Amino acid sequence: MAAASVPRDVTSYSIGLAAPLTLFFLVFFVAPLVQLFVLSLHNDTAGVVWGIGQYVHFLTDPFSLSVLGSTLLLGVEVTALCLVLGFPIAWLYHRVGSRAKTLIILIVLLPLLTSVVVRTFAWIVILGRQGIINSTLLSIGAIDAPVRLLYTQFGVVLALAQVQMPLMALPLITALGRIDMNFEDASCSLGAGSWRTFWKVVLPLSLPGVIAGCTLTYAAAITAFITQSLIGGGQMLFMPMYLYQQASTLQNWPFASAISIIFLLAVLAVVTVFGMLGRLSRGYGGA
Amino acid sequence: MINRRTLLTTALTLGAMKAFPGLSYAQARPLVFATFTGSWEEAHKAVLVPAFRKVNADASIVLDPMLSVDQIAKVNAARANPPIDVMLHDPGPALVAIGQDIVEPFPVEKSTYYKDLIAEAQEPMGPAPFFQVVGLTYNPDTIRTPPTSWADLWKPEFKGKVGITNLNSTLGTGWLVEVAKMHGGSEANIDPGFKALEALKPNLAAVAANPGALATLFQQGQIDISPGNFNAIQILKARGVPVEFVAPKEGAIAFKTTIHVVKNSPNKELAFKLIEASLSPEVQTTLMNSPYLIVPTNSKVPMGGEIARVLAKDTAELKKKFVFQDWKKINEQRSAWIERFNREIKL
Repeated sequence: MAAASVPRDVTSYSIGLAAPLTLFFLVFFVAPLVQLFVLSLHNDTAGVVWGIGQYVHFLTDPFSLSVLGSTLLLGVEVTALCLVLGFPIAWLYHRVGSRAKTLIILIVLLPLLTSVVVRTFAWIVILGRQGIINSTLLSIGAIDAPVRLLYTQFGVVLALAQVQMPLMALPLITALGRIDMNFEDASCSLGAGSWRTFWKVVLPLSLPGVIAGCTLTYAAAITAFITQSLIGGGQMLFMPMYLYQQASTLQNWPFASAISIIFLLAVLAVVTVFGMLGRLSRGYGGA
Repeated sequence: MINRRTLLTTALTLGAMKAFPGLSYAQARPLVFATFTGSWEEAHKAVLVPAFRKVNADASIVLDPMLSVDQIAKVNAARANPPIDVMLHDPGPALVAIGQDIVEPFPVEKSTYYKDLIAEAQEPMGPAPFFQVVGLTYNPDTIRTPPTSWADLWKPEFKGKVGITNLNSTLGTGWLVEVAKMHGGSEANIDPGFKALEALKPNLAAVAANPGALATLFQQGQIDISPGNFNAIQILKARGVPVEFVAPKEGAIAFKTTIHVVKNSPNKELAFKLIEASLSPEVQTTLMNSPYLIVPTNSKVPMGGEIARVLAKDTAELKKKFVFQDWKKINEQRSAWIERFNREIKL
């Protein structure tokens, strides 16, 4: 009975509740990941000879590195575009009536309600030679011949930004909602203009949401196999397609595994940088 | 001997069998046929499967459509107890599958129809029930004079109008080999093909990631001419897309689509029966007719309809007009070609 009389430490929680998910992760995520890593440590396609040849191949090959670089850059472009387009929407959300709020949420969520494939095909229709953009530009006389939009980096960034927008807008809406409106009023009444208020008050306070949105958008944009290959076409190579090509068409599993591991590490590095920014911003965000 | 590892494996296996009772009855699962996605799946579901079930007492069969390369990957991941019984392959992946020892030899002597197949289709490791034919596809609304040769793709009037696919697909690879041959190359010497591709760049409007994507580009007016698959074009045409198919004068490229029994399949007998059904004149005749238009390989099937009109009236003409490629040679260097294509073809 002695044990019962000691009050339980209320600040600690039993980790037993996490056990089912942990087990699920161990079996279906960690174990395959380890298997993938082991496979990547083979020099031949059959997976018999041990060695780090696949990593050496990737890291000393300017072409492979350029694929990695362009994929990471694509993520940055998409994330930046989402942020620039998503922030005003999120800001607006907290300043309109409830009816308009519902409308904004609906617009933000709408992309999530259709499949990525459908959304991407819609972009093919929009960006095509006879698509909405080209026919509009032609009819107002801005261009003489259709411009090539489909199968360009620009097209991929545009389509990905639309497809991934909810991942940016939702965290921003949440973060902006947590800011006490009185801060802005205080800032204005103390003589700061609206831009100064935005830069010095609203933006810093919304940083946790910005970081969360950027992390999600970035990770989703660089791994978006379907949108990248349908809008980018067969000549624009990004990491997911490179991986698929090696694994499926060429059946070179060890190299494909090495690509996956390198890609995973590169993404983890970027996400870590976002995380560090997030910690730096905590001084503001905790307020 | 029992060590920690075997004990753990055994425990996990037993646990898994308890959790997923389906595993324990792997022997009794239905026949799984991995066909291709899209029009192939439709055709097989509507014609081949009913024909098979009719003569095999309604045996249960499941279609699991996926690409050749994915079929190989799936079987490789579970060689001892493969999740697929019958595979369908393009010529390149077929040789890979045979090379990796994941298919059974076809029991030729047991087969009723094997001997009726035309010589090119008689493959002891897995016969070819169908041909795929690749020729020129064009939009008759914008291109008034039909093209006649692969060389037409290089004409200056098609600047920014040509579509191709990359070398991930059989179509893209086979087409590049044909281009190389036109310029003095061969399956072993692809260099002239790449040189010609370089010269084609001003005309290229799109390099699609797969042949299916190429089809959408016709619908969107993004491209007006491209190498294309006969079946795929007929399906587009039936849906009202303005496309026409012509066999170029160099000869249309013919790919054998081969069908294989997977090694260690628990349903070998049914797998054989399904392949027999696919080789039978009845099934091949139905599949030759509209809307499927799949080129038959059984010499007892008289050519008819659109196929007779556009491709060949009989087997003799078919052999004369079709070009078959040496995929053994192609496979040797395909990965190097894909690598080179990745590097060199940037629009």
